[in-house]
Amino acid sequence: MSWPRIRQVLRKDLHLGPRSPLLLWAVVIPVLITLLVRGVFGDLFGELPRLGVVDEGGSELTVALKDRDGLDVRTLDDAGLLRTQVTDGTLDAGIVLPAGFDAAVRDHEQPVLQAWLSGESLPGTRAVLIATVLDLTRAMSGVDAPVDLEVVALGEDALPLDLRLLPLIVLYAVAIPGGMVPASSLVEEKEQGTLQAVLVTPTSVAEVLAAKGLLGVLLGTLAGVVTMWINGALGNSAPTLLLSLLLGAVMMALIGLVFGAWAADTTTLFAAWKAGGLVLFLPAIFFIWPGLPSWPAYLMPAYYFLRPAYQASVEGAGLAEVGWLLAIAAGLCLGLLGAVAVMGRWLQRRLAAGRSGNAGPKPVADPEPAEAAPEG
Amino acid sequence: MVPADRDLVVRTQDLRFAYGRRVAVAGVSFTLARGEILGFLGPNGAGKSTTIKMLIGLLPPDAGSIEVLGLPMPARQREIQARLGVVFEEKNLYPNLTGRENLTFFARLFGRHDLDLDALLERVGLAGRGDDRVHGYSKGMRQRLTVARALLNRPDVLVLDEPTDGLDPVSARSIRSIVREEAARGAGVLLTTHDMHEADGLSDRVAFLNEGRILALDTPEALKLRHGERAVRVRRRVDDGGVQETVVPLDGAAGERLRTLVGSEGLLTIHTEEATLEDVFVDLAGRRLE
Repeated sequence: MSWPRIRQVLRKDLHLGPRSPLLLWAVVIPVLITLLVRGVFGDLFGELPRLGVVDEGGSELTVALKDRDGLDVRTLDDAGLLRTQVTDGTLDAGIVLPAGFDAAVRDHEQPVLQAWLSGESLPGTRAVLIATVLDLTRAMSGVDAPVDLEVVALGEDALPLDLRLLPLIVLYAVAIPGGMVPASSLVEEKEQGTLQAVLVTPTSVAEVLAAKGLLGVLLGTLAGVVTMWINGALGNSAPTLLLSLLLGAVMMALIGLVFGAWAADTTTLFAAWKAGGLVLFLPAIFFIWPGLPSWPAYLMPAYYFLRPAYQASVEGAGLAEVGWLLAIAAGLCLGLLGAVAVMGRWLQRRLAAGRSGNAGPKPVADPEPAEAAPEG
Repeated sequence: MVPADRDLVVRTQDLRFAYGRRVAVAGVSFTLARGEILGFLGPNGAGKSTTIKMLIGLLPPDAGSIEVLGLPMPARQREIQARLGVVFEEKNLYPNLTGRENLTFFARLFGRHDLDLDALLERVGLAGRGDDRVHGYSKGMRQRLTVARALLNRPDVLVLDEPTDGLDPVSARSIRSIVREEAARGAGVLLTTHDMHEADGLSDRVAFLNEGRILALDTPEALKLRHGERAVRVRRRVDDGGVQETVVPLDGAAGERLRTLVGSEGLLTIHTEEATLEDVFVDLAGRRLE
């Protein structure tokens, strides 16, 4: 194998990428889905609600707010600056506590407390901030709450839905650019006849497959990392997470090459990818509904990079905890590499026979239908 | 004239290949010399494409041997392919790349980074269109670009599969001219075509293939002499005002008959006739070349 030739094929594919609707779709869609989920649920690993406080009289409320978990309280010296930061979205909300505020509260004078809310803040964030300020102010006034609130947790004791959706998003982000792009690129070359043109230069099928595989690994890893980055999930055990995403992209690229070598045309490829995608994406279901029996997930290859990626990002798990899963993923990749080698030889024979893949005769050079008849 | 061994760029011996039980090539032997244009003629299914695929390394033969530039195929496939230029009948280019980008990519696969692509584009009549994407090219332009691609590595062996099929006369003439230039440079050219006039006009030798075998291999002239009939067609006006046409085969009695006809009154036209390659094929195979 010649690295310069692999590099040239890869370079050409990357050059063609921005002109290919499929590649754009494969890279853009995972990001769009992530943004959509963020829009619905907020950041998967989102920042705390940000409250700005201008305290003109050394209020106890400021101290109480800072002691409260789950809030990011920032004190500022100037009300004008506070207003600016709330307006531009740097802060979700802001309050100005005038001098004598605490005394007025304790004297039950019901002082006016104006709260500024950022137009870009999420409704949930606004509700948390307002409720917290009211609750702490009431406590400061020494008045008991008019009701005795009993809190009962309902539903399963599970992670929130946004976190449970994370594996699906990551799987999509890695699988489509990582697997579908090399598969469709290979099929497109067969359909256009350019693969044959490449194979009569000193370039071998193995070099072409290596270049397409690298394309998938690059895009799959990149899309996975970008998706996690958008969600702020790279901070937890980043090396383990990156290794999981890389192995996932390798696995998807190899699966994509098997599909691409086999399929004769784009229609067949998409049909096969849809059918295979059911199996491919199945492990994500067990994260979304953790109550389901999880043993079927162990039968799916994608599980072995998805589980480590999930544990690394959500639980901060390191290699010690998920190493065995990644080792299985690496073993599966080796097996798939063997399958790609077999499919590469099969593809070469099919091309030579004037057939581009699994389907019927397709004259490539001189149209000789009789010669191009199915083998055997 | 049989070329000396040192001048041979291709030598095949008893090539055989079968797709399953269907025999496509059944013992094909031929040679191609440096600077020679060898026309491969035959109907669909004759074995032309399969022979070419074996020659360019896309298909390993079931039996027989291939030597290209003194190297065995497929054992030394990569070295041979570095010195091959191939024009497929299919216009297999990257439609979303420009003409220049297509050429640059393939040139790099040959390890050529220093080519004057402008000169090459000009040579095939695509000067000024090199920066347009190929999907906007006409069929003739695409074919000229595939010819340019085949010339990127200054090939010692040029394989052309129906290079002018379906092209307008100007494009076809341009490609034929390039083929002649390449042969004059010293490349051995293997040409398959359905166009008998093209084969006749371009080829130094012609091989007729049918059912996986070479029926005849010689110069067009020799084949026509051997398998066709030469004659003179004389048209003259006769007494009743009509036109009489007489065909005189060029045999031993032709001289006397022609003298009589030419000496008679009312002579209109005299045309010599010779067999076409089509006639040769019919004579050899007992069927038309379609």
